[in-house]
Amino acid sequence: MEAGWGDGLPLIPPTEERVQDFLVKGGRYPDELVALLPPLDAECTVEKIAINAVMAGAPPESLPLLCAAIEAMADPKFDLAGLNATTGSVVPAVIVNGPQRDRLRIPYGAGCLGGVAGPAPAIGRAIRLLMRNVGGQVVGLTSQSTFGTPGRVAGIVFAEWEEKSPWAPLAERRGVAGDAVTVYGAMGTANICDVVANDAMGFLEIIAKSMAYPGANGFLTASAFSETLAVIGPVWAEVIGREFPDIQDVQQIIWDKCALPIDWFRPEYYEPIDKLGRIKPDGRVHLVPTPDDVIVMVAGGMGGLHSAMLHSWGTCLTTTRPVAAA
Amino acid sequence: MLGTVLDPTANLAADVTSAGPDAGALAGKRIAIRIDMLWRSWDWVSEVWAEGLRAEGATVTFWRSCGRTGEEGRVAAAEYADLLAGSDMAIVGLGNCGSCTSWTIRDALTAASGGIPTIAVATAHFEQLARNLSKRGGRSGLRLHVLPYPLDILPKEQVDDIARDHYRSFLRNFGVRSGLAQQSAA
Repeated sequence: MEAGWGDGLPLIPPTEERVQDFLVKGGRYPDELVALLPPLDAECTVEKIAINAVMAGAPPESLPLLCAAIEAMADPKFDLAGLNATTGSVVPAVIVNGPQRDRLRIPYGAGCLGGVAGPAPAIGRAIRLLMRNVGGQVVGLTSQSTFGTPGRVAGIVFAEWEEKSPWAPLAERRGVAGDAVTVYGAMGTANICDVVANDAMGFLEIIAKSMAYPGANGFLTASAFSETLAVIGPVWAEVIGREFPDIQDVQQIIWDKCALPIDWFRPEYYEPIDKLGRIKPDGRVHLVPTPDDVIVMVAGGMGGLHSAMLHSWGTCLTTTRPVAAA
Repeated sequence: MLGTVLDPTANLAADVTSAGPDAGALAGKRIAIRIDMLWRSWDWVSEVWAEGLRAEGATVTFWRSCGRTGEEGRVAAAEYADLLAGSDMAIVGLGNCGSCTSWTIRDALTAASGGIPTIAVATAHFEQLARNLSKRGGRSGLRLHVLPYPLDILPKEQVDDIARDHYRSFLRNFGVRSGLAQQSAA
């Protein structure tokens, strides 16, 4: 703790024995370079991942997932340099697909975004410690996050409930079938609740319209572009999937309804928004540029009533990587 | 009984503490000014400064940093590389938020590592972040000029006054050799 290695929570000392054991069980060589992590642009080796994972209490079996997540975050298109320093409250959300979900007990049902006992918070914490100890992201030093977010302690690590999804798994739709990890620059999580809608369009409208609030980063005139993530609860997903078996239709509807009339903004916003070409002929401004920028997946409990939205910070583009077998 | 505890932190590269070459004389020099799509106040400041630089015989080229990821990012990186290749010195700003300070310093470090006189510009609230990022980027000596904060909420006339007030100290920080740079502020 005194060395500045921690997040304030108790740490497991990363002794040689523990790290060695982690590496052996995780099935990777310590010297292998996984990525360069900004702002230090420091070498993140498998050994550094193992040391931080031991400190966080992550299981050795999660090593391949951790390596793939770090590799995805370090892709330049994810803009980890900007994400690490921003005044925003963004944290890389780690979305897990494939059979590894059950092997690693990554939650995708009730409480999947936080609160379920299991290794997900430790895996998320390992990633956060790596961002701190290897990448060099420290609040007040290299990070200017005005508020931060609870996800900056133990991450946001959850899986897709593929078996309840009417559509192909998220990672597969992004070109990676089987075990995969997708990292997404999330401005926290927020709930969407509805007790009136009972058909596909009703559910999609409440999701889309809930996502469109003026202070969302997607509406910033400083953002060149943004994505957005809808996590549809399995009860709603079943209804939506029956009417819209093609995920592109779902993305199209959410994109279309996720917009604000330009006159919702004060007059001084008109010029900068217009300059970006974002005012459509019907006088609306969409949260994200195209339907492809609406990311849709299925997770959550069977309690119904709810879906969730994770707004994007902005320029960090969602990145998916395969996860190698241990 | 615990064994040896392993270090979870990264091994840092050697730090460059030098500010790099001085800007020197301005006459005949090609100066790149990196602006962004965030801060209109930085547009105003850099226009005032560009006027002064041109008056001393320099040629000024503005380059606006927009999206830095995806296809737009690849285009931006190529444009920026071309800009630096055709410039004798670089002024890079504005560090006035977390991510924009990060990109300001990264772009300034890119310019400085190419060996041309380079100065980054940040507002006072983000000065320490800029210095930390410079150091962690391996060049703690990177020149930095600090403007007051908050800046972007001020009207243009006031920002223009600030730009004029800061012009001479900016030249000195940049290592410019000219009569104006040697004068103390009024």
